[in-house]
Amino acid sequence: MSEAAASSEVTQVAAATSSQDPEVGLAAVAALRGLVEVLEALQVENARAKGWSWQQIAARLGVTKQAVHHKYAGRRFGFRR
Amino acid sequence: MAQRSEQADRVLDLARAEADLLGHRYLGPEHLVLGVLREGGSGASQILEANGVNLAAARMELRRLAERGLVPGPRPSDAELLGALGIDLETVRQSTEQTFGHKALGWAIREATRARRGGVGRVPRTPLRDPPMLIGQVLVHAGERARALGIEVIGPELLLLGVVTDIRTPWPRCMNNRWRRQLHASVGLPMGYRGAAGPLLQAFGVDLDQLGGALLAELGAGVP
Repeated sequence: MSEAAASSEVTQVAAATSSQDPEVGLAAVAALRGLVEVLEALQVENARAKGWSWQQIAARLGVTKQAVHHKYAGRRFGFRR
Repeated sequence: MAQRSEQADRVLDLARAEADLLGHRYLGPEHLVLGVLREGGSGASQILEANGVNLAAARMELRRLAERGLVPGPRPSDAELLGALGIDLETVRQSTEQTFGHKALGWAIREATRARRGGVGRVPRTPLRDPPMLIGQVLVHAGERARALGIEVIGPELLLLGVVTDIRTPWPRCMNNRWRRQLHASVGLPMGYRGAAGPLLQAFGVDLDQLGGALLAELGAGVP
């Protein structure tokens, strides 16, 4: 199989994301989650660095204060800018 | 710690390209074998060819291993999956890096993907990082061999020797944990995957003792 053929094969699989194939649909959701987790960590760290309280952060994320605190507090949080 | 030669880095790049060509979303020892063959200019590739392993046949054999379920079949990349949802991964990466900086993005990636006891919010990998490299043990073995032989630069021969050693050495127990199993499953690898270079070379009837001996001879170390 040529490089182009292999590439078009996977593109076709990807194009089926909106179809009902769980194999592809779930993989797309997992990719999305991988993206979201990184963006959330970045935004939460940024908000903390700007002095936001856990309460405020939780409210914007639409979760409880405990949930966001449990997930992010009490660890080597943040990095040296 | 021994450095990798430019040729060895080229082998790694080509191994990634070969993994991509197969639609594999990870880099395993089996792709390194393909990388050595595709690079083509090393003693290691000559030794493989002398053992009847060539690039076209090895690619074909890996596809057969996929049919047998030892490695995954072709899967869409994260960029393709996200693209189908209308998200341009490269744009997200660039805008995030521009806003927060490279260092902050690297921190957030580690934070989101690192193993933790509670398991809260843990993802095994993220599209913002390159596909997982499952050749850690190969590189460790190559480094140990380099040290034992007093060689300062790791070339394709030592990489391939690392692959051979990896095939014959069970992965340490610390590699068999929940986080790693999740990581393997997330790229479609079967349970208990420990690299597929063994089955690949076996399909060509390669004698690992002989291959290891030939590589050591090429390195000027004689037969062990």
